Amino acid sequence: MEVIIYVSLVFLLIFCVMAVMSHSILKSAVYLALASVMLGVIMYVLGAHWAAVFEISVCSGLVTVIFISAISLSKIKHDEIQKLYEHKKRSAYLPAVLIIGGVLIAAAAMAADFTLPEAAAAISEEFRETLWNTRQADILGQIIAILAGGMAVVVLFQNDEVKK
Amino acid sequence: MEILNFRTIMLFLGLLMIITGCYCLIRTYHMLKIIIGIEIGMKAVTMFLVLAGYINGHMGLAQAYVITVIVLEVVITLVAAGVTIGLYKKYGDMDIRNLTKLKG
Repeated sequence: MEVIIYVSLVFLLIFCVMAVMSHSILKSAVYLALASVMLGVIMYVLGAHWAAVFEISVCSGLVTVIFISAISLSKIKHDEIQKLYEHKKRSAYLPAVLIIGGVLIAAAAMAADFTLPEAAAAISEEFRETLWNTRQADILGQIIAILAGGMAVVVLFQNDEVKK
Repeated sequence: MEILNFRTIMLFLGLLMIITGCYCLIRTYHMLKIIIGIEIGMKAVTMFLVLAGYINGHMGLAQAYVITVIVLEVVITLVAAGVTIGLYKKYGDMDIRNLTKLKG
């Protein structure tokens, strides 16, 4: 189990870094989808099966479709993106930033003698009961957020003639 | 070393993912890349929630929180993509600096 988690964590970070450093928006969206898949694997191995299914189906699938739709609707040429927004040297500093950040975090953790506690015994709580009975306010908030997002998209894509 | 268990490494890599997302937000003016930076940060948050659920044993509650975060993540991405396309239709590019030119 731990080997799967370690391998997935490494690939997760690699895909996230490649999503940022890539000059093609399409490739960045694909790398982000792959990172979601790795995160879903980690969640599944840790026992969060429902969250893993959600992560893979929604974040890896739906969000990628949203990105590709936005890219296709904008019809931006590949060359223009590289010319206008991305200077090659900008994203090349990311590995150095990560190394410096990692060293600082590790040094701070060692100085503070920081350790995470051992995993406690899993409390048998049914996820569906927790979500629908205990966290009803969360469900209501999600419904409101989805409706608000849908209305925002409708307004944003309103025809200019209708606005006039 | 006892400190190098997968829980600590998950926490460490999650922090690196947040640094990656923040770096993406700082270094680019392209709206879609900015959305990608936000997505990476939120993935780190969902990983921390699952890790917390694993450590304290309340995985059901952690999954409920994760699903809430994922739903909000999708809504944010959708609205931001809509703003991006609207920006492109008005100005012909996706530079976030164009938002300062908008008049009420």
